[in-house]
Amino acid sequence: MSSERSARSRHRAILVLTGLGLAAAAILATLDHFTHEPIALERERRALAALTAVLPADSFDNELVTDFIEIGIDGLAMPARIYRARLAGQPVAAVYDVTTDRGYSGSIRLLAAIDPDATLIAVRVLEHRETPGLGDRIEVERSNWIRQFSGRSLDDPPRQRWAPDRRDGDFDTLSNATITAGAVIEAVRRNLEHFEVLGESVWSDPEDTEHD
Amino acid sequence: MKPEHQDIWRQGLWQANPGLVQLLGLCPLLAVSTSTINGLALGLATIAVLVCSNAAVSVLRGQLRPEIRIPAFVIIIATTVTVVDLTLQAWFHDLSRALGIFVPLIVTNCTILARAEAFASRQPLVPAIHDGLAQGTGFAAVLIVLGASRELFGHGTLLADADRLFGPAAADWTIQLLPESWEMLLAILPPGAFIALGLLVALRQWLIGQTGALRARAGQSEAAA
Repeated sequence: MSSERSARSRHRAILVLTGLGLAAAAILATLDHFTHEPIALERERRALAALTAVLPADSFDNELVTDFIEIGIDGLAMPARIYRARLAGQPVAAVYDVTTDRGYSGSIRLLAAIDPDATLIAVRVLEHRETPGLGDRIEVERSNWIRQFSGRSLDDPPRQRWAPDRRDGDFDTLSNATITAGAVIEAVRRNLEHFEVLGESVWSDPEDTEHD
Repeated sequence: MKPEHQDIWRQGLWQANPGLVQLLGLCPLLAVSTSTINGLALGLATIAVLVCSNAAVSVLRGQLRPEIRIPAFVIIIATTVTVVDLTLQAWFHDLSRALGIFVPLIVTNCTILARAEAFASRQPLVPAIHDGLAQGTGFAAVLIVLGASRELFGHGTLLADADRLFGPAAADWTIQLLPESWEMLLAILPPGAFIALGLLVALRQWLIGQTGALRARAGQSEAAA
């Protein structure tokens, strides 16, 4: 008698939990239906906004967001991407989208735009988890530090001087954030070196770049 | 037992404040309170989750037998948090970026499970919603005070980045109270959060000590908690 009652109450408990699970699934599926598009749109908008932050919007006329190749660079997370900006078919800039894991508290994702003469156009940090108030000054909204890369190349300064000045390099150190600054400088240098090795083939279609 | 609304609010805001007395939800409380706006934003998100989960638990309380209580709470809370997270991501992207991982982490805020268990599962809908509001507001208040004091001592400002929450019009709401160059590392880093919370708890105790009438009542409620 009592075991029958406990079996019934167990069935009831299972039914209640199942119903709750189904209701939760239904609510989330409905919400996903409505939020899916805005979230995807926002991601795309953010990616494009980041790209146009390193390149003036009228300096290229191709579909930058879809014109990219995937590559691997030593010392940086794989795969990295190169977005290729062109104006009337002519190369304008290679935009490296890379992630370094040598930040002070995790990985730092940045964009570096390099012109066909291997000179940096601009560098911007996309994502990071550096210390608020210290390492987060790599963001352009917080300080001008990241702007010092514009116009630099592997000859300016010479590549052994690509380090924060606190480590005998030629770049400003962010005070109290030498590791953060060093990680960004190193990542940008690796992009330039990769660009130098890849040469003209940066601009060709993925199927032509066999050595990737 | 039918608690008065006034009493529910007194509990949530002062006598059994989740941040200062129950010391629940410390993970989001300490991690996010680096600025006033972050504190306010996470506080609002927590209130929303608490009210929804309290309401759902209260409505379903007749069905929730003791043995399935905890799994049911977890489903309800996880669903509510996901709803808030997706809503923020879809329509408040800047804020969602600023709060980062901490909105999904509301799910680990034990205040919410504690209120479901201790209050909502035993009370009708209206008091449960009141309790969610009161406890959430108490938690949000601590978040805002902590955020404001850490921002003030860390950066010398108040209300920086208000545009993330209130739109572009709020971009110039920042109040510079200390010199532009002011910076105190300790206040921004995690140890600063612990120290500031400790000072707040001490301040509350001191205030209680100052008002003899309150002392007796607070003693009772702490013993009960």
